[in-house]
Amino acid sequence: MEIESISHDIVIVGGGGAGLRAAIAVAEADPQLSIGMVSKVYPMRSHTVSAEGGAAAVAREDDNFEMHGFDTVKGSDFLGDQDVIQYFVQEAPKELALLEHWGCPWSRNEDGSVATRAFGGMSTKRTWYATDKVGFHMLHSLFQHSMRFEQIVRYDEQFVTKLLVEDGVVRGVASLNIRDGVLRIIRGRAVILATGGAGKIFPFTTNGNIKTGDGMSLAYRAGVPLKDMEFVQYHPTGLPGTGILITEAARGEGGYLRNKDEERFLVERDYGVGTKAELGPRDMISRAIIQEIEAGRGLEGAHGQYMNLDLTHLGEEKIQARIPMVRELSKLYIDVDPVEAPIPIRPVVHYMMGGIDTDIDGATSIRGLYAAGECASVSLNGANRLGSNSLTECLVFGARAGRCAVDFSRGIDEGSDANLRAQAEEEVARIEALRNKRSGNEKISRLREELNTTMESGCGVYREEGSMQASCETIDVIKQRLADVSLQDGSRVFNTELIAAMELANMVDCAEAVARCAVVRKESRGAHTRRDHPHRDDQNFLHHSLAYYEPGSPPRVGTKPVTLGKWEPEERKY
Amino acid sequence: MSERQKKTFVITRFDPDTDEVPKTESYEIEVEPYWKILDAINYIKDEVDPSLSHRWSCRMAVCGSCGMMVNGEPRLTCKDRLSGYGDTIEISPLSNFPVIRDLVVEMDGFMDKFNQVKPWIIRAKELAAEDGPMRQSPEELEEFKQFSMCINCMLCYSACPVVANEPEFLGPAAIALGHRYNIDSRDEGAAERNEVFRGEGTVFSCSYANECSEVCPKNVDPAAAVNQAKFNAVIDWATGLVISRDGKE
Amino acid sequence: MARPAHPHAMQPSRPGSTRTAPPQMPPRYPMGGRYRNYTLFDATGLVYLLVGFVALRIVWALGSGREAWQSMLNQLENPLYIAFHVLAFVSVVFVAVRFFSLFPKAQPPRIGPAKPPPAPVITAMLYGVWFGITAVMTFVLIGGNL
Repeated sequence: MEIESISHDIVIVGGGGAGLRAAIAVAEADPQLSIGMVSKVYPMRSHTVSAEGGAAAVAREDDNFEMHGFDTVKGSDFLGDQDVIQYFVQEAPKELALLEHWGCPWSRNEDGSVATRAFGGMSTKRTWYATDKVGFHMLHSLFQHSMRFEQIVRYDEQFVTKLLVEDGVVRGVASLNIRDGVLRIIRGRAVILATGGAGKIFPFTTNGNIKTGDGMSLAYRAGVPLKDMEFVQYHPTGLPGTGILITEAARGEGGYLRNKDEERFLVERDYGVGTKAELGPRDMISRAIIQEIEAGRGLEGAHGQYMNLDLTHLGEEKIQARIPMVRELSKLYIDVDPVEAPIPIRPVVHYMMGGIDTDIDGATSIRGLYAAGECASVSLNGANRLGSNSLTECLVFGARAGRCAVDFSRGIDEGSDANLRAQAEEEVARIEALRNKRSGNEKISRLREELNTTMESGCGVYREEGSMQASCETIDVIKQRLADVSLQDGSRVFNTELIAAMELANMVDCAEAVARCAVVRKESRGAHTRRDHPHRDDQNFLHHSLAYYEPGSPPRVGTKPVTLGKWEPEERKY
Repeated sequence: MSERQKKTFVITRFDPDTDEVPKTESYEIEVEPYWKILDAINYIKDEVDPSLSHRWSCRMAVCGSCGMMVNGEPRLTCKDRLSGYGDTIEISPLSNFPVIRDLVVEMDGFMDKFNQVKPWIIRAKELAAEDGPMRQSPEELEEFKQFSMCINCMLCYSACPVVANEPEFLGPAAIALGHRYNIDSRDEGAAERNEVFRGEGTVFSCSYANECSEVCPKNVDPAAAVNQAKFNAVIDWATGLVISRDGKE
Repeated sequence: MARPAHPHAMQPSRPGSTRTAPPQMPPRYPMGGRYRNYTLFDATGLVYLLVGFVALRIVWALGSGREAWQSMLNQLENPLYIAFHVLAFVSVVFVAVRFFSLFPKAQPPRIGPAKPPPAPVITAMLYGVWFGITAVMTFVLIGGNL
C-alpha cells in the first residue's frame, strides 16, 4: 500500500509547553504557514501539566536581569552558556506577560499585579505562580490559545518513529498513528522537537509515563549529539513510593526540612547552602538529604528512609491559598495532611539538564532540525537547573526555535519524495516486524525494570566509577536483549504494547548517553556528584559533554566549549 | 509491610480487528492495599496481559488521561483508592463515548465541542509583550479561578444524562470553559461566546442534573458554570434588545 | 451491560479511522444511585400535569352549578384523590428543596455591577418567600381577610 504523505511548512513534534509555544510563534510570525503538530498524547496530557511551583522572570523593583543571570549561572555550576542565559533572562518577563495575555490565571497581589514567590537558588522573589498548579495553567492556557490558529493542524496520539533526513537536511518525520497503526510521512521544511525529558529511565521519578526521551532518541539516531546527559536533577522533595512531586514552593513559602531528631539539618550543618537553608539549589539539598540518611538521621518508612518536610507552622490558610495542591497530593497519596503533620519526602529524579545539543536558536547539527524545552540542551541549565527556570525556558526557547524555523523554511526546497518514501517503507517494515514478533524471551516490563534499577544504582545522587561502569555494562546487555523482546498484542488499533516497545528503545538510548557521559566526567559539578572525584575540576572539565550515536556500539563521547562571559567560574557556595 | 490481598478485576475488552462487540475479561491479581485503581490496571498490563490498552500518564490527578468507569461510576483511576472496593471490581471505558479499544475512548468529539466555545482570551485590541501583564485583582481572579481548574478528564460527559441523549449538547466541561473566559476580567469576548451559548444544543439543553459536579475529581462544579452561563446568556440577550453593540448585529 | 446511549453521542464531526463500539449509557441511569433523584425530579412534571387537569376540572365544576360543585367536593374526599394530593404535596416539597439547593450556585459572580448575595442568604430568601406565600394563601383559604 502506498504510504500517505502530508506536507506542512513547519512540523512540530510534541504538544507540551515548548511545542505549543513554538507553534504559536510560527503562527504569529507568518499566518500563511501551515503547521503540523504531532504529539503522542492530546496536548493537555503533556507532562508540562505536572509542573507545580512557578516560572521565573524578573518582575520586582528590587530585581534585575543581572541578578537573575548570575543566579542561573551559579546554579548551573558555571556550565551554563552565558550568552544563552543573558538572552533568557531578558526575554523571560515578556514571555510570561504574553502568557498572561493569553489567559494564564497568575496569582495576584492586592494591587492587581502578578505575585511572585521565593524559590531555591534565586536571590529574590522572582517566581511567578498560579497557586501551585503553574504547569497545569501554563499548558492549558497555551493549548487553548493555540486553538484560535486554524493553521495549526494537530496530529494527536501519533508517535514519531523516525526523522526523515536527506543529505544533512531534515525533510519531515515518519509518524505512526496510534489509533489505526498506520504510518504516514509528515513533511516539513523545518522540524522542531519538543518532546520533553526522559525521567522514566529511572525507577523513582516525578515524571509521568510518557517521559521516555523519544525526541532525544530521534535526534541522536539521526546523528545529532546529546549534550550534558550526565546531569540528572534530583528534586529534593518527592513522596516516597510514588515519587509524586511536592513542589519547591512548599519551601519557598517557608517550609522546613527536618531529620528524625526534628533538626533543620540545612541550618544545623554545613551543606554549602549557607543562609539560604531550605532555599538552596536542588542538587545541594538532595545531597544533604542523602548524607543525613547515611549518617543515620533518616526516618524509617514502608518505602525506605525519608526526611520530613514540615509545613505545620505555615497554617491552614496560607497552605490552602498558596500551595493547595501540596495538601491535595499528600492527603491523597500518602494520607498526611500537611496542616497537621510533616510530609515524608525523599530526593526523586525530576529533570534532565541534558538533551539534544542546540545553539541559542534551538538549531541542531542537522539543517532544519530544531529542539526546545526539556528534550533540548540549549545550555541554559548547565550542570544544575534552578527551580522555575524550566517553564520559562519552554516559552523563551520554544518561541525562538519557532521563529528561527520559520526563517530557515523560507530558503529551503522540499527535498526528494522518493528518498523519503524509501525511508518510510523501511520504517513500516521494521514496525510491522515488531508488531508481529511473537518469538523471543524478553518482556518489555522486565527490561524496563532492569534498566531502571541499574540507572538508580549507577547514576543516582552520588556516583562512583565502579557502579557507573556496571551500569554501562548492564545497559549494553539490555541493548542486546532488546532485540529478543516479544509482543503479545498483534492489533493495529491502539496498540500500547507496540508503542511501549519503541519507547523502551528510546529510553535505552538516553540511559546509555547518561551513563557513558557520567563515567567520562571525572569531577563533581552540579547534579553530577562523584564520591571518587568530589571536587569540581575547571582545568579539565569546564566543557559540555557530547554523546554521539554509534550504531552497534556505545556512544562516542566528545566535548564542546562552554560559552563564558562576564561571570568567571568561582567556588559555588551560598 | 502491609499484606497483599487478592482481588478480581473484570475489565471490558474490545479490539475492532477481532471483536464484533465488547466483551469482558477477568484478572485475579494480588494488590497492595495502598494502590489506586490505576496501579492495579498497570500491574495487569505489565505482568499479566500486555495486550490491554488504556491511557495514563501523570498518576497524580492532573493530566486527566485515566478516566474510566469503576463499578459503574466515572472515576479518575489514579485518584481512586482500591481499598474502597470489594473483592471484585468492574472496569469499563467511559460511558457516553464511542470506544476505540479496550478502555480507550474516542476523544475527538470532545475536542470538537471544546473548540466551539472559543476557549481563549478575546480582546478588541491585542496587547504586545512589552505592555506587560494586565492588572487583575485577587477578587476578580477568584471569580473564575474554580472554572479554570478543569483537567479535561471527561468524567462529567460520562455522567451527564443529556450527553447520553442529545449528541449536539456541548456538555459540561466545554461550557464551563467558555464561561470561565466570559467571566475573566481580562476577556472581552463574552458577546461572541454568548451567541454560541444561545445556539441549539448548548446551555439551555442542560437540565441541571448536577451529575457532572458530583463526579468531577477536581471540584470544578461544571453544573454551576453551565447554569451561570444560562443566566448570563439571557441577561446578554436582554441587554442586546435595549442597547445595540458597536459593530455587532 | 448497560443500555446503549444515543449512537451519535460524543462522536467526532469527522469519523475516526477505525470502527468504534457504540457509546453506552451510564450504567446506573436512570434509576440507580444519584440518578434516581434526578429522574424523580423529572417525573414530578407528570404530577404537575395531572394537578393541572384536576384544577381545570374543579374550575369547570364551579361553573356548572351548585350540584356539580358539591359532587366535586364529595369526589375530592375519595382516598384516591387524597393520596394524589399527598403525592402532589410531596412532589412540590421535593422539587423546592432540590431546586433551592441548586439555585444559589447558578448565580454568576456578578450581574452587571452587582454581586449576588452569598449562597446561604439566597437559600434563606428562597425559603422565606416560599413560606411567606404559603402562609398568606393559607390565611386567605381559612377565611381570613387581608
